[in-house]
Amino acid sequence: MPLTGTRDLSELFAAAPRVQSLESERWELPGAQILQLMYELDDSAMTTLIPPALHPTIPPTLVFTVTRVPESPVGAFVLAEARVGSRSGARPRGLLLRGYCDSRAAVEQLGARWGYPLFEAACTLEKRYDRIHARVSTPAGVILDLTLLNPEPISGNDLQYLASLNLARVVRSGTESPRLVQVDSDYVFRSADRGKPQLDAFDAEAWLLPGAHLSHAVSASFAVADVTMPVLRYLVDPAKRPLEAVERL
Amino acid sequence: MKFGIFYEISVPRPWEPDTEYRVYQNCLEQVRLADELGFDQVWAVEHHFLEEYSHCSAPEVFLTACAMQTKNIRIGRGIVVCVPQFNSPIKAAEVAATMDIVSGGRLEFGTGRSATWTELGGFGADPDETKKTWDEWTRIIPKMWTNERFGYEGWAFSMPQRAVLPKPYQKPHPPMWVAVTSPGTELDAADRGMGSLGLTFGGFQEQEKKIAEYRRRIKYCDPVGSFVNEQVNTVNFLFCHDDNEYGARTGQRLAGTFNYLAEQLLAARQAYPTRSYPNLGLLPALRREATSSPEGQIPEGLAIGNPDRIVEVIRKWEAVGVDRINFLLNAIETVPQEEVLASLRLFAKEVMPKFAGTREPAGATAAGGA
Repeated sequence: MPLTGTRDLSELFAAAPRVQSLESERWELPGAQILQLMYELDDSAMTTLIPPALHPTIPPTLVFTVTRVPESPVGAFVLAEARVGSRSGARPRGLLLRGYCDSRAAVEQLGARWGYPLFEAACTLEKRYDRIHARVSTPAGVILDLTLLNPEPISGNDLQYLASLNLARVVRSGTESPRLVQVDSDYVFRSADRGKPQLDAFDAEAWLLPGAHLSHAVSASFAVADVTMPVLRYLVDPAKRPLEAVERL
Repeated sequence: MKFGIFYEISVPRPWEPDTEYRVYQNCLEQVRLADELGFDQVWAVEHHFLEEYSHCSAPEVFLTACAMQTKNIRIGRGIVVCVPQFNSPIKAAEVAATMDIVSGGRLEFGTGRSATWTELGGFGADPDETKKTWDEWTRIIPKMWTNERFGYEGWAFSMPQRAVLPKPYQKPHPPMWVAVTSPGTELDAADRGMGSLGLTFGGFQEQEKKIAEYRRRIKYCDPVGSFVNEQVNTVNFLFCHDDNEYGARTGQRLAGTFNYLAEQLLAARQAYPTRSYPNLGLLPALRREATSSPEGQIPEGLAIGNPDRIVEVIRKWEAVGVDRINFLLNAIETVPQEEVLASLRLFAKEVMPKFAGTREPAGATAAGGA
């Protein structure tokens, strides 16, 4: 059967957000700008970044997503993610162990409602006609700098986004459990572009992805979409084998 | 109705030094038996880098071995990836013609373009261009076979006049097919007068609509080859056993294992936004449709269970217009080899005779034989 992850995530949960209620309400995020780059990873990271509950993609992949949300229940924010491409059983997913956001209120609410494991940092997303550029900076320095060069219009139907699995502590019946929270947002696209990916900075340790060496650029896309943050439907127990790990809510 | 067997050649981990050897030998043993039992065709895919799912990167070699160990069964190159980073059209024509000669005119020639980033990215191919290069190749390869000398100035391929040799044994050339996974490709097949080599497992209703449209369109085709190959070929799973419950259970395990492996592939669309791959090829959806069913029921279109049930299923496929069915027999050796062979024997004894009246002799396609 397919390879599975070997990483023990238990030490990472201490800093993960606590999801107190699994009955989240939907959030509508109109006009969100989404920059996404995909890279192949060196195969030394094939199984070392993901837990036993997940299969790696072949080749292993890393997906960078920076989203500028102009309007939300907590106001505007920019969210940056670096997710490991994987399969939960037979389903494509992106594992998020740490992300960054420029709004304290968004960090708290996205963590409490959908399990986003976020830290506050300076995040920018700038759209120009010749490029779309994003950067994430912490006091230690720039931890992500990526660009889509020479955007050309495509159809939003040509894009496919991964559902996320967010590292979180989930409280049920008064008991806290380490889980991956599945977030499969809906997208209604207003416009879409693709272009050449360029990565100028990536600090793998800052994203809790030690050993994630990028080996090959795959694609870059940019979209403007109305995003609906969903009601939670599934959790994954990261320590279990893939076919036993998924819990339906 | 004609029956065949179909190989992805999936190899289970852990990969011991002789694992691939054993899997290939098992496949060859199945092919020899299938030939003895009267199956019409054996098809093998061309896939690269698809760990476990398919270790069949040189199907022309495997199929030549099949031809050398059999007498009647036709050999299906399913498919040649018509993308220049994978293959050269000259070489593809030459290899196919040689296979046709050494097999005594038993080649079926499938064409396609690959659908995974794992493969396209591995070869450095541009996903935007694959449909175009496939289209160009399907028009020039038959001319390489039938023209004494061939020269061409094209979009993705050009060559000065040369004699592409050898020429196929079948005249004017082997039947040509298109691998159909993306919706609409069956119409591409029809418009070009090519056979529809279905690689999905959709239920009856879905397939009936597609086949009807294929039949309607092919009447007005502009054939790329020297003749029209109006045939609909589909893929199914086969596990035939006297005990219906055991047969169904084993067959569902086989189908489930295969589909689980297939879902692990990194589809082109999942990695690279392009209009050339407008969706996942319906592969996941159709596979789910074909392998999911209400609790306790066998998925409607699968050839698994006892002979009576399988006869009933095939009669329905026949009724919706399918001409040929190719069976996947195993996936990462989840079914023991002896049970695979027993399943083939039981199918040949109890099921094939029920369709003998509707079967044409092997090799007598719309093309005519050699």
